[in-house]
Amino acid sequence: MSIMLVIVFSIILIYLSITERFIVYAGLIGLQGIILFALSLLELQRITLGTLLFVAIETLVFKVIVVPYMLRRIIQKTGLTKVSEHALPGFYSLLFVTLGLLLSIIISLSLKTQLSTLVYFIVSFFTIYTGLFLIISHRKIFSHMVGFLVIENAVLLLSLAIGSEIPMLINIGILLDIFVSVLILGIFVMRLKQHTHELTLLKDD
Amino acid sequence: MDQYLILAPVLLSFLILIIPERIRHPYVVILTLFICVLTSIPAFRLVFAPDTEKFILKGPFGQIDLVIDGLSGFFILVTNFTMLTGVLYSRGYLQIYEGKKNQAQFALHYFSFTWLHLSMLGVLMLRDGLSFLIAWELMAVSSFMLILFEAEKRATLKTAVNYLIQMHVGLVILVIAFLFCEATTGQLSFDALQSYFSQNHNTGLFLLFFAGFAIKAGFIPFHTWLPEAHPAAPTHVSAVMSGVMIKMGIYGIVRVITYLQADFFLIGWIILVFSALSGLLGVMMAIVQHDMKKLLAYHSIENIGIIGMGIGLGTMGLGLHNPLLVLLGFTGGLLHVLNHSLFKSLLFYSTGTVYKIYHTRNIEQLGGVIHKLPHTALLYLTGAIAICGIPPLNGFISEFLIYTGLIKGLSLGSAYQAITVILAIISLVLIGGLAIFCFTKVFGMVFLGIPREKHEISDPVNNSGMLVPQYMVAILIIVIGFFPMLFLRPLMTFVSDQFHVALVPELVPISDLFLKISSLSGILVLLVFVIYMIRWFLFKNRKVIYGPTWGCGYTDGSARQQYTGTSYANNFAELAHPVLQSKDEYNEIAEKDIFPSPRSFSRHPNDIFRFGLNKLLDFNMLILKKLARLQTGNIQHYILYAFIFILVIFILLYLKIL
Amino acid sequence: MTVLLLSVLTGIFFPGIIIRVKSILCGRKGPGIFQPWKDIWLLLRKGSVISTTASFISRIAPVIYLCTILCAILLLPFPGIAYDFGFDADFVFFAYIIALGKFLFILNALDAGSSFEGMGANREALYSLLLEPAFFILFGTLALLTGNSSMQGIFSSLQIGGPSTYIIIIITVYLLVQIAMIENSRMPVDDPKTHLELTMIHEVMILDHSGFDLALIHIGTTLKFAMYGILIANCTIPVDIGFGWQILLFFGIQVGFAVLIGIMESFRARKKLAKNPQFIVTLSSIALIAFFLALLITFKMIP
Repeated sequence: MSIMLVIVFSIILIYLSITERFIVYAGLIGLQGIILFALSLLELQRITLGTLLFVAIETLVFKVIVVPYMLRRIIQKTGLTKVSEHALPGFYSLLFVTLGLLLSIIISLSLKTQLSTLVYFIVSFFTIYTGLFLIISHRKIFSHMVGFLVIENAVLLLSLAIGSEIPMLINIGILLDIFVSVLILGIFVMRLKQHTHELTLLKDD
Repeated sequence: MDQYLILAPVLLSFLILIIPERIRHPYVVILTLFICVLTSIPAFRLVFAPDTEKFILKGPFGQIDLVIDGLSGFFILVTNFTMLTGVLYSRGYLQIYEGKKNQAQFALHYFSFTWLHLSMLGVLMLRDGLSFLIAWELMAVSSFMLILFEAEKRATLKTAVNYLIQMHVGLVILVIAFLFCEATTGQLSFDALQSYFSQNHNTGLFLLFFAGFAIKAGFIPFHTWLPEAHPAAPTHVSAVMSGVMIKMGIYGIVRVITYLQADFFLIGWIILVFSALSGLLGVMMAIVQHDMKKLLAYHSIENIGIIGMGIGLGTMGLGLHNPLLVLLGFTGGLLHVLNHSLFKSLLFYSTGTVYKIYHTRNIEQLGGVIHKLPHTALLYLTGAIAICGIPPLNGFISEFLIYTGLIKGLSLGSAYQAITVILAIISLVLIGGLAIFCFTKVFGMVFLGIPREKHEISDPVNNSGMLVPQYMVAILIIVIGFFPMLFLRPLMTFVSDQFHVALVPELVPISDLFLKISSLSGILVLLVFVIYMIRWFLFKNRKVIYGPTWGCGYTDGSARQQYTGTSYANNFAELAHPVLQSKDEYNEIAEKDIFPSPRSFSRHPNDIFRFGLNKLLDFNMLILKKLARLQTGNIQHYILYAFIFILVIFILLYLKIL
Repeated sequence: MTVLLLSVLTGIFFPGIIIRVKSILCGRKGPGIFQPWKDIWLLLRKGSVISTTASFISRIAPVIYLCTILCAILLLPFPGIAYDFGFDADFVFFAYIIALGKFLFILNALDAGSSFEGMGANREALYSLLLEPAFFILFGTLALLTGNSSMQGIFSSLQIGGPSTYIIIIITVYLLVQIAMIENSRMPVDDPKTHLELTMIHEVMILDHSGFDLALIHIGTTLKFAMYGILIANCTIPVDIGFGWQILLFFGIQVGFAVLIGIMESFRARKKLAKNPQFIVTLSSIALIAFFLALLITFKMIP
């Protein structure tokens, strides 16, 4: 069951690399959040119940509800709709992302990991690659933020996989989530000038 | 007795130069036939019953051994057939040049053609290093002479010289490789490789041999001579060069592989990567060409890629000790050698006929040729379907063997191998799809529709001499497609013998498989026949109206409204722009330009490897120009250089460095 | 032979169901389910209008197109029936013989020398070029997973396996549905109801056909749908239930497939033509993900 969720997670990444509208980004990040929530419930059975509930609820609250909501608010306020300034057309983004899948498979196979966590390693590397690729190939700062969120998802995914050995890692990952949601998105939602199609003008100017 | 029989063609070929014009072509045909029969008899015997046979030529300077085994025999048969059809075709084609060339040029052309044949047979039969290299050089020189047939055009001259230089670069690399071998084993021949490979590092020397042979074969990035040399040469020469001469490179590579002792998997992997790259890039660059022959030249690069994939797969099989992979890979690759020589020569011959009648090779200017030359169109269609690897013709059989080998290789070995194999399968699929894209474009633009520009057309009546060799090739293509086991059985026998793998357990399932494929092809033909007969029968009583092509409400459409080759290839060319880098020459209309002046638009396909090579050569010229300042022409300066040299030697001796 | 019969039976009601579903979702009643076949019967009895530019290609191409599809159907297995046309790696032959039909179909389109047909021809050539890898990677995945390479061998041993195998079956069905939609020029790549030649792919290639030839092409298109339906049914029908149940399930799946296509067409807009290659290559990427999953399963890295 968890394998199926991980596969859907990676298919979402492919759609993330080719999509044209910002609303779809928000929806896909929300979907990834739901998958991470389900995975956290399924995987973290070996640690104490309290920590498990904390992780699950944090994922639910921040990744599924808060972050997509804030992304939608930003889109609504600034009136941005399309990812118009690609540095690369969609076709080549897709080819690069597929290349990333290949590279992450090759890298993960050459690390001598435990078999049970191999899939998670592969998908995490793939997610990090896609997040970095999103940041590099797009010009608007909104896409950079989405790329950063994707990288964060990768960290959480990997920490879920090996978290039974290193419980502290999960807590650090969650703190990162909270940091992003509050600090960065809060600034963006509250401080941006409205109805420009830009994200670089603040309210006071 | 043997000796005189072998030397006879060599001596008889010199008679071509002095024979009167009326009997020259029949004499050349008979001579070629004689050479073919002479070499094919032992070759035939050796392909079916694997063995090695030796002919010894004794002369005043020593002896030369001509050694034929199964592999050489196969290549000899391939060479002979294509050279025969080439000679038969050349008579009709060379009529274009009737008034423009004098008899000496024709005689020299036929002489070089016969010597190309003899030198290729020499390459296939000589194992001794020095004689092999001499035959290799003769092959390069005779093909150089053949390309130069239209030497009055400056571009042809430049191309031919470029070709000769690249062939010599390949020769130098081969000489170095042979010398490496000789330095350790003391013997300058192919057989010495056996002992070399058992003691030293295999991959290094193999790569050197590969580089030398790859220049001849046309692997990317060694291919830059191919797309220029093929259009420059007359058609039958291009057909022979593309069909057989580049296969000499493949022969060399396979010959070296037979001596390898270790590192099989790595070498197979390297060959596979180079071949996949050649296949993909070759066909991508072919799509955007508008010269028919240049397009076919790029397709030769693609098919060499497919052959290389088969050979790489077979070598990987040797490394994995899997007899099925070895059989499928090598058989597929070698059968594709035969298939490619057939359909490529057929395509070239048809192109030559079109060029003879229409005097242009530019597909943007042709169109509607099918109405004037229906036989040529049918033959070109056969060649096009065969080259795309589509059943029921022969291209499918060899590609299918390679596919089967790759699919079986998916589950053998480690996960990395599976990744390599799936990438190889993806490349092969893309190559097939791209080939279909390209040939629908060429056939559609040249043969279908209406002519895009008005041409002065020669009379297509006296063509029959050119059709006979084309039909010979087409019949063989169809026979291989429908009865593949006839050709596969001897191929698999000698592959299994050469590489010491067991044949019998694999033979029965493979022959069953091809029996099913043949029966399905037969069913297809039967179905087509039945339904077409129904249609014909029904149409006898029905009305068929002929009208103009539907033009969406207007009926004054001109020929210029048809799709051109560039527009057809455009949506692919845009996707593949980073690889193709086509240059547009167009003066954009500025915003404030209210009455723009007349403009023209042209787009030229670009070969990035040729571009890179040109840059390298330019850099080279820059340095050489600076060095050329030392050549002042003044003898006092030269004496000064000699004096400086003596001084330097003296100082070095004094300091005991030298 | 059974497969041929089943596909013809499916083909009889398949296009009718799609059109009916689309009409009902638009609020209309729509034509009868057998209307497309009544049209084909009408066309079969008519003569032809042939362009003066056309050559012998126009006469033989529709025949060959239909015959290649019939031949391809002969290769397909059906759960529970032993048949003897299968051989190792026969899906390669399957894909390539359909490519023969496409090759001649494209040449047929270029034969009339019309610019509209040229447009359709080059789009069709590009999309089938980009779609082939997805098909081959998919079957490569199934071959790797089951250890067989003939279609019969693959489908008979597909459903034995752990839960991860089911994920691959789901992805396979999804990709086969998408491949079927694209190959038959349906949404979102091509709209069968568009009237603008500049945006057509498949319909524009048959502009200069009429009468008997057009009927052959329509029959071929219908059978192509049935062919992909059989492939999907092979993936999903369990092998160990009775033959009667399998037939019933087969027809149920076909009807469901037709309804699904009708629904997907009604609720989806057509993509911009320039975005189509990207969409098609997405399928290959998803197939690659399935391949890597199969890789991990085969090398015992996940249960």
